[in-house]
Amino acid sequence: MSTNDTDTTDGTDAETDTGPETATGHPNVRQTAAELATGDRTDTLLATDGLRKEFGGFTAIDDVDFSVAEGELRCLIGPNGAGKSTLLKLVTGTHAPTAGKVYYDGHDLTDLPPHERVRRGISMKFQVPSVYGELTVRENARLPIQRFADGAERRRRVDEAIAAAGLSDYEAAPASTLSHGQQQQLEIGMAASMEPDLLLLDEPVAGLDVAEREAIAERITRLNEERGIAFVVIEHDTDFVATIADRVTVLHNGDVFREGPVADIESDPAVQDIYLGGDGA
Amino acid sequence: MATETGAGRTDSEPSGLLGRVRGRLEGPNTIGNSRAYWAGFAVAVAALLVYPYIVGAYQASRFSLFLVYAFLGLSLSVVWGYAGVLSFGQVVFFGVAGYTFGVVSVNFATPAGITGAFLVGIGGGALVAAVLGYFMFYGGVRDVYVTIITLVSTLVLHTFMAQTAGDQWTIGEAALGGFNGMPTIPNLAFGVGGAALVISDVMFYYLVLVLLVATYLGLRVLVNSDFGRVMVAVREDEDRTRMFGYDVRRAKLLVFTLGGALAGLSGVLYAAWGNYVSPGVFELAFASLPVVWVSIGGRDTLLGAVAATVGIEFFRNSLGGEWAFVTVGALLLVSILGLPGGVVPWLDRTYRNLRGGGTTPPTETTDSTDPEVTEA
Amino acid sequence: MINGLNLLFQFLDSFAFVVLAAAGLAIIFGIMGVINLAHGEFIMLGAYATTLASVRLGLPLVAAMLVGMVVTALFGLLVERVIISGWAPNWLGQRLVGRDLMEPLYDRLADSMVATWGLSLIMVQGVRITLGNSLDQIGTPLGNIAYGGFSYSMYRVVLSGVALGVLVLAYLVFTRTEFGMRARATIQDEDTARALGVDTERTYAATFVIGSGLAGLTGALYAPTVTMVPGLGGSFLVEAFVAVVVGGPSVVLGTALAGGFLGGINALVSNLLGTTAGRIALLVTAIVMIRFLPDGITGFVERVRARRQEGGA
Repeated sequence: MSTNDTDTTDGTDAETDTGPETATGHPNVRQTAAELATGDRTDTLLATDGLRKEFGGFTAIDDVDFSVAEGELRCLIGPNGAGKSTLLKLVTGTHAPTAGKVYYDGHDLTDLPPHERVRRGISMKFQVPSVYGELTVRENARLPIQRFADGAERRRRVDEAIAAAGLSDYEAAPASTLSHGQQQQLEIGMAASMEPDLLLLDEPVAGLDVAEREAIAERITRLNEERGIAFVVIEHDTDFVATIADRVTVLHNGDVFREGPVADIESDPAVQDIYLGGDGA
Repeated sequence: MATETGAGRTDSEPSGLLGRVRGRLEGPNTIGNSRAYWAGFAVAVAALLVYPYIVGAYQASRFSLFLVYAFLGLSLSVVWGYAGVLSFGQVVFFGVAGYTFGVVSVNFATPAGITGAFLVGIGGGALVAAVLGYFMFYGGVRDVYVTIITLVSTLVLHTFMAQTAGDQWTIGEAALGGFNGMPTIPNLAFGVGGAALVISDVMFYYLVLVLLVATYLGLRVLVNSDFGRVMVAVREDEDRTRMFGYDVRRAKLLVFTLGGALAGLSGVLYAAWGNYVSPGVFELAFASLPVVWVSIGGRDTLLGAVAATVGIEFFRNSLGGEWAFVTVGALLLVSILGLPGGVVPWLDRTYRNLRGGGTTPPTETTDSTDPEVTEA
Repeated sequence: MINGLNLLFQFLDSFAFVVLAAAGLAIIFGIMGVINLAHGEFIMLGAYATTLASVRLGLPLVAAMLVGMVVTALFGLLVERVIISGWAPNWLGQRLVGRDLMEPLYDRLADSMVATWGLSLIMVQGVRITLGNSLDQIGTPLGNIAYGGFSYSMYRVVLSGVALGVLVLAYLVFTRTEFGMRARATIQDEDTARALGVDTERTYAATFVIGSGLAGLTGALYAPTVTMVPGLGGSFLVEAFVAVVVGGPSVVLGTALAGGFLGGINALVSNLLGTTAGRIALLVTAIVMIRFLPDGITGFVERVRARRQEGGA
């Protein structure tokens, strides 16, 4: 049992699994954990090995080997209920796996509670925007930063984080008064301000208009290029994915269905098929 | 850097030592962040200082019980209002501390012994809180289940202590006394041998008052500090706070232990005040009083906790008899339904609205732990 | 053999007590997400109404018990309209100042605890002021069973039968009646239930009335056996609470299992070490159960069952 038992049913992805076994179109992902162990592919930042998650009678993640290289910008796509959010939560430790392991930066994360994983460089923005509504924007931005910066350095970072989110004029406003897009920006800013090596974003542009989406796409790209942060971004908007991604992983029924460069995935008819409810045959 | 003048801040940049002190005492997690507030505070403290001279030693002594209870109210405010843990079990730590003080002070009835009893009593309260807190928070128990466990714990202690009547329930010279409780607990005393001070009557009143003011100010500093902000973040959204790298279980445990120490302090003072402690302190009626005080006063303000505790207890004792509880019950109902945030925050909002200062609470103008608080 | 009989009777006694104390609360908590800390006082109300109906109005016992139950149910309706849903204050508020005065207490666990605690203070003191510190008791009917050197009240044995009957009745109501269907839909998902046309507000009101009625029934049943003091609710409250939590999400089955389990522990320890130890054992067991099985017994069973199903499919 994990030390932090928050083993709750993930309502966002749960649905009865009645489909047949998924197609095994795995690219060369399985090797990665083994490579990690032997010291090859040392630029692999994150690797999961045979990861499995069951909620009661439902298998949300089914024997997944998933890996991300340092500085890579990966998008995670798939139909609703495919297990995308669950996979991220297994990485952060919010859910404990039924079986399998998560490796990060060469270390086995299995016994580490979420806050420890965050301290090692993993950061996440949840699907539902969850800024601290009652606190001001500044107090929100301060919270992740106060842990590792003091005095003038802290103020500088907080100012930076607020400015990068475009919220300098809203410093003193309660976060609940921000628009949806602003809250997303604030959350991304808060997650990025911890200077992670791996940033997990669950639907960062859901509910935003075109201009806001562009702003966020630009921000993600900039963080990736300037600071070398690796990303795993769950999104449904194909244009958005095409703009930012290096590689794309397609999840279906809890398993990796396809993985590859953005262009390959975009043109793959099997991927389109599963979105329409087929089984990708 | 953008500076935002908080609604309460009517003065210009605070300077020097006073400014730095105020910088630590003030912040988004407490009300009253203006000169006007501190002026009012000073007046209130002055009034309390002269109170015994106005009403006489006897009344002052009775009043000091309400001041003693204020620590218990503060303990729940810290734990519930600031960290989001609704505990019906603060009286567990209160009672354990009281009994511990009783047992130790009866057995070591010298001033040094009593000083030791004082410290051990408070420590006992904190220790029990730490153990219970560890059991709950590191076991992943959350929300309402924490409340229920604390409620049940109170009852366990009540049931247990009520049957400690026999002779076998004696620790050294101190008989636990079952339902009848433990009488002849000595007055507080501090010091060693000839240089000792026995605290009785009016002196007790002043001791409690000084301790209360010091505790209040100390807690203000704490809740406005980095740790205080983490407490509030935990209250608002535990999961999110965890994802910012904070060990939420540890934070809750620390806060809960602090709450236990505060409740313990209250319990020790209580035992010394009445020279008596009984299982009645574990009764459900008494266990829920802190919840009453803090709900009515405003659980996420320290001032609300103190003011409501003292006010309600004073009122309840003046009214006396059967109507006291009915009125308190009615007051509780009306306040939770109509003013769920509590009376003191409501007063604060109304006051600031009247002064036209806007509705946003005094926000963080600078990081208050930053010594360069005076920079623009 | 004698001790076996003692144990059996103690168990039946504990079982009945826990189940009857918890029944009304389980329904209210399960369906409405409201914690009624005045639950003990509702029981007290039922007991008092029954006693008054029997002693002062001269009604036969069963009729008096019915009166007790109905009076409490009606009081529950009043409480639900005024305090829980806020319907009455808001109706007043709309007319006087043009806006709602309060939010309903559904799913506001901490606030509902505090508000109902206020109510319980009012109820206890109110009864104390109007009816004094104690009331004449109804005699316990049905006499005693004698065995060996012991005798046991027949009435209390009957109570355990009644407890079972209440469980069966609750089960039937939940599964066979329309109200039960609506209630279960609301427990599952309030928004969907409402979208499907279930009047959730009326379901809540009906639920609270039924829960109150059950509490009144408990009070009525225990009126002949407990001392009639205004604070009598206190001894039911915490046991009711822990049974609800330990029982888990399934209202009927959970209450039954909690009654059996906690009642069993109580009986066993009481038999060996006395009633005080028995009570402490029950409470400590409850704490341990809450810590290790936070979903209660039925919650845990559900998870195990689902997992096994998955394995076998």
